[in-house]
Amino acid sequence: MKELEEIIKELIENVRELEGVIEGIKKPVSESSQLIPETAKNIEDVMVYLEQTSHTIMSLLEVINNNSQEIDKNLQSLLELNPVKSIREKLELIKEKNEENLNKILELYTHLSFHDLAGQQLKLVIEVLEKIKSALLNIIVSHVTRGKDLKEEEVSGIKGKVSQLLSQDRVSQEDVDALLEEFGL
Amino acid sequence: MPMPPQDIRILVVDDMSTMRRIIKTILNQLGYSNIEEAENGKQALGKLKKEKFDFVITDWNMPEMDGLELVKQIRSDDELKSLPVLMVTAEAKKENVMEALKAGVNNYIVKPFTPEVLKEKMEKIFK
Repeated sequence: MKELEEIIKELIENVRELEGVIEGIKKPVSESSQLIPETAKNIEDVMVYLEQTSHTIMSLLEVINNNSQEIDKNLQSLLELNPVKSIREKLELIKEKNEENLNKILELYTHLSFHDLAGQQLKLVIEVLEKIKSALLNIIVSHVTRGKDLKEEEVSGIKGKVSQLLSQDRVSQEDVDALLEEFGL
Repeated sequence: MPMPPQDIRILVVDDMSTMRRIIKTILNQLGYSNIEEAENGKQALGKLKKEKFDFVITDWNMPEMDGLELVKQIRSDDELKSLPVLMVTAEAKKENVMEALKAGVNNYIVKPFTPEVLKEKMEKIFK
C-alpha cells in the first residue's frame, strides 16, 4: 500500500513538472508562433498592394504614352506641311521634348520591376518565418518528449497536438490532460 | 534577311504579372507586337508544344517549373531545341549566369534592365 502511495506521489510530481515545462515554454513560443503567421500575412498584403499599385501606375503611363505618341504623329504631320522657319523651330523643339518624354516613360516602366525584385525578397522573408515557426515547434516538442522513449509516430502526433495548442489563445486543463495522455501519464 | 519585328512571335514567361506587362510594353515600343504570355515554365511548355513561337523570354524563379528547367526541356525537345531563349532574371551571380548558359540560354539579362539592354540583346539574337 505504501509502495502504491509512493508511485502515485511520484506520478503526480511528474505531471506537475511536465505542466510546468509546458506552461514555461508555451507563453514565449505561443506568442512568437502567433506573430509569425500574422507577419507573413502582413508581408503578403504588402506584396498584393505593390502589385496593384504597379498596375495602376502602368495604366496611367500607358495613357500618357499613347497621348505622347499621338502628339508625335501630329507634330510630324505639321512639320511635313513645311511651315515658316520660326514655326518649324518651335515644332521641332516640341517634338524633341515629346520624344524625350516618351523615352522617360519607357524608363519609368522598367523601374516598375522594383515590384518583382521586392516581391522576391519578401518571399524569402516569408520562407525564413516559416523556418522559425518550425524551429520553435521543434523546441517545444523536444522539451515535452525529453527522456521519454517514444516512437516516431508518437512524436509526430505530439508535434501536431502542440502545434494545434500553440495556435489557440490559451490551453485548457483538458488540453493539458490530453497531451499528458499522449505520454501515458 | 532578318524577320521584321512585328512578325516575330514572342512568348514572355514570368510569374509576376507586372513583369510580363513591363517586358510586353518595352517590346511593343521596340516594334515587337506579336506577344503571348505564360505564368510559369509548365504553362509555357504547353503553349510551345501547341503553337509556333520564334522566341522565348523567361524569368528564372517561378512556381511549378522554373526558367532553368524550361530551358532544359526546350533544349531536349527535337521540335523546340533551336528556339532562341533569353533569360531575364534577378539572379545576378556569376554561377547563375554560367548555369543558365550551360542549360542553353542564348542570352541573359539581369533585372532591373533598361530598354536599351533588351533591344541590344534582341538584335544580337536575331542578327
